[in-house]
Amino acid sequence: MGVTKTSEPAARAIPGVILQFLDRASVALGCTADRDRLPTIHWVSGWQADADQKSLWCFVPREFEAGLRQAIAAKGRFSMTVEHIGPHECYQFKGRILEARPATEADAAVVARCRERFAAAVRQVPQFAGHEAALRRYILDAVVAVRVAVHEIFLQTPGPGAGSLLARLENPS
Amino acid sequence: MSARLPDEIRPVMENGVPVILATCSADAVPNVTLVSEVYYVDAEHVALSFQFFSKTVKNVRENPHATIILNEPGAGRRWVLRVDYDHSETEGPIFDAMDMQIEAIASVTGMSGIFKLRAADIYRVLGVETISNP
Repeated sequence: MGVTKTSEPAARAIPGVILQFLDRASVALGCTADRDRLPTIHWVSGWQADADQKSLWCFVPREFEAGLRQAIAAKGRFSMTVEHIGPHECYQFKGRILEARPATEADAAVVARCRERFAAAVRQVPQFAGHEAALRRYILDAVVAVRVAVHEIFLQTPGPGAGSLLARLENPS
Repeated sequence: MSARLPDEIRPVMENGVPVILATCSADAVPNVTLVSEVYYVDAEHVALSFQFFSKTVKNVRENPHATIILNEPGAGRRWVLRVDYDHSETEGPIFDAMDMQIEAIASVTGMSGIFKLRAADIYRVLGVETISNP
């Protein structure tokens, strides 16, 4: 399912179609940058919209914490690209870190659902058929939960429209 | 200072699994995207395709630093490459090879005709590390 680009992208919250997309997406990657503008990738093992519908919770494994602590302390910028593997539907969320805490059992349940969607999507690729256990293991358990205020949402689905601004939140969290 | 790519990374670059690419703008806004493939140029350089005037293309021309993750799900391993954008090529053997591979990938993924290679962006490899499943 695609999202129609509007001429007026200002939004009060993350649009409903994007929230629905987040519930079917199968992989997410976060990114921060240090003071030298060196970007670091943080694999996001699970994701969930906050109740305010203006921010996202990103669950990051220990193996991808490098650079994240500094970004959390500085309440720095955080970008996250989320894709629905298969149809290639993809969006990038850009914003700022609001808060972080150790991941909980409830977060682990979110990660488990995202892990199943990842494995289900990638096993459709012929070379990974029958490798479901390895695919599940590839999504690492999260140790930290990071809440990110979403400022902008960009279309990232491959093609000439990739990079288009879909929504800018009027009053982000 | 450059780093050398180990031989064992070459099959990972050709495994068809999307690659993660992170860049950062001059005003420090990070950007992360999935790309279809990263191309081996030589032991110290890789190439990425420039197909659209994307944020990635703009960012690396403002700030050359980028990070790449190559995925190896079957082995439970990821390769993290620290790279710097070096230059672009719009003709020659690297460009021609990338152009052919892009069309091949596009036809397999049902996106034939959508992609057109504008340039082969060449990056110098500064660091290589792996992250393996525990």
